[in-house]
Amino acid sequence: MSCTNSQIAGILCGALSVPATAMAQQTTFQQDPFDQYVSRFLAVVIVIGAGLVLWSLFRYRGRDVGAISWGFLIAGTSLFPMMLSGVGTIVALERVRTVRVCGSCHLTMKSYVDDMMNPKSNSLAAVHYTNRYIAENQCYECHTSYGMLGTLQSKKQGVIDVYKYYTRTFQLPLQLRQPYRDGDCLKCHAGAPKWIAAHEESQQKIFEGKVSCMQCHRETTPAHNLLAQELNP
Amino acid sequence: MNVPSVRTIELDPRIIRWMLISAQILALIVYLLGAGFLLRTSGGTLFLFSVAAPPMILLATLALAGVALYRYLRRSSLFAFALFEPGDLIFQQGDQGDFAYFIQQGEVEVVRRNEEVEIVISVLKKGEHFGETALINNAPHDITVRAKTRVRVAMLGKRKFLHMLRFVHPTEDNVMSTINQQASKQAAKRAKSTTQDRKVQRA
Repeated sequence: MSCTNSQIAGILCGALSVPATAMAQQTTFQQDPFDQYVSRFLAVVIVIGAGLVLWSLFRYRGRDVGAISWGFLIAGTSLFPMMLSGVGTIVALERVRTVRVCGSCHLTMKSYVDDMMNPKSNSLAAVHYTNRYIAENQCYECHTSYGMLGTLQSKKQGVIDVYKYYTRTFQLPLQLRQPYRDGDCLKCHAGAPKWIAAHEESQQKIFEGKVSCMQCHRETTPAHNLLAQELNP
Repeated sequence: MNVPSVRTIELDPRIIRWMLISAQILALIVYLLGAGFLLRTSGGTLFLFSVAAPPMILLATLALAGVALYRYLRRSSLFAFALFEPGDLIFQQGDQGDFAYFIQQGEVEVVRRNEEVEIVISVLKKGEHFGETALINNAPHDITVRAKTRVRVAMLGKRKFLHMLRFVHPTEDNVMSTINQQASKQAAKRAKSTTQDRKVQRA
């Protein structure tokens, strides 16, 4: 992300700087090409659009004196911002899944994110994150059994979370609103030879919903570890 | 001839200007929010970009559309309107004729200057019109028209006026009869002043 940012910063500053390009080449394999190219496109849109508006402001000072001034006005004030907002929303939908964005909003879960990134932690989240068992968007991969209207539902609940955060009325450890869905584990693990071998006896019951993943794994390998001082600040 | 009751919304040019400047400032804020989101994606920048930017774009577009619509209505409107304060010259003798004027409110004095002598030929009121002779004759105005009170006039451009005369025959009759009346009045005044001049000379 930072390399992409340096390129975008380069475009936004007026030109692609050589060091930024070199850095980007080193880590290209880690970047989502969609995000990379669309971000560059948006950076160009911002530079041109803002340039048009500034030029129009200084040249015409709010007057509409002909076809050219109207062209500047329509392009800079309406068309380019619409393009920025429309395409930017697609990028936003992609980027909102990253751990960084999750962590920047869900502030009550900071200790959970810290634990996930801690290489010494033995929690499920940390094991998956530090070994890159999940390549990217680690929060999202394990917490997105939303369904069709799930996003709306979760945003509604999010408002309650915001209230609790600012009034400091939340308590750690946070409680899930509903039991964790086995499907979010099984969507990756089910069918893996190692998992099949380890769950030879129980897999039928798991698939039938008679036994849940957390029944066995909560104690030995909890999803997240929280430090004692965070639980009792 | 009755003055057509055409109404147009007349906005202060400063309002138009500030609407356009506000739209441009909103667009600049959107670009800043977009740059912030691209460079540093976080919950805050994402929220601002995805929630605050679209209404700003909508407002800016509405402002542009509003000004464009206003300009279109003004351009396609039959009349332009003007206000004159008492004593203001609407046009002077010798000026090129560009408009026919229809008085909507107030009174005007029709004045003829003759060797530094100024004669008020007539006073025109609401519902009457002036300035059309120069358009029909394609010649400069032979009179000066001055606002006697606060006057609001509807101004019809030369091309539109001549089109109206060509296609709407009763209008032509009406205008021609007004011109004839005014010419008669002027002739009568001139005759009267000439008689007075002779009397003065004899005395």
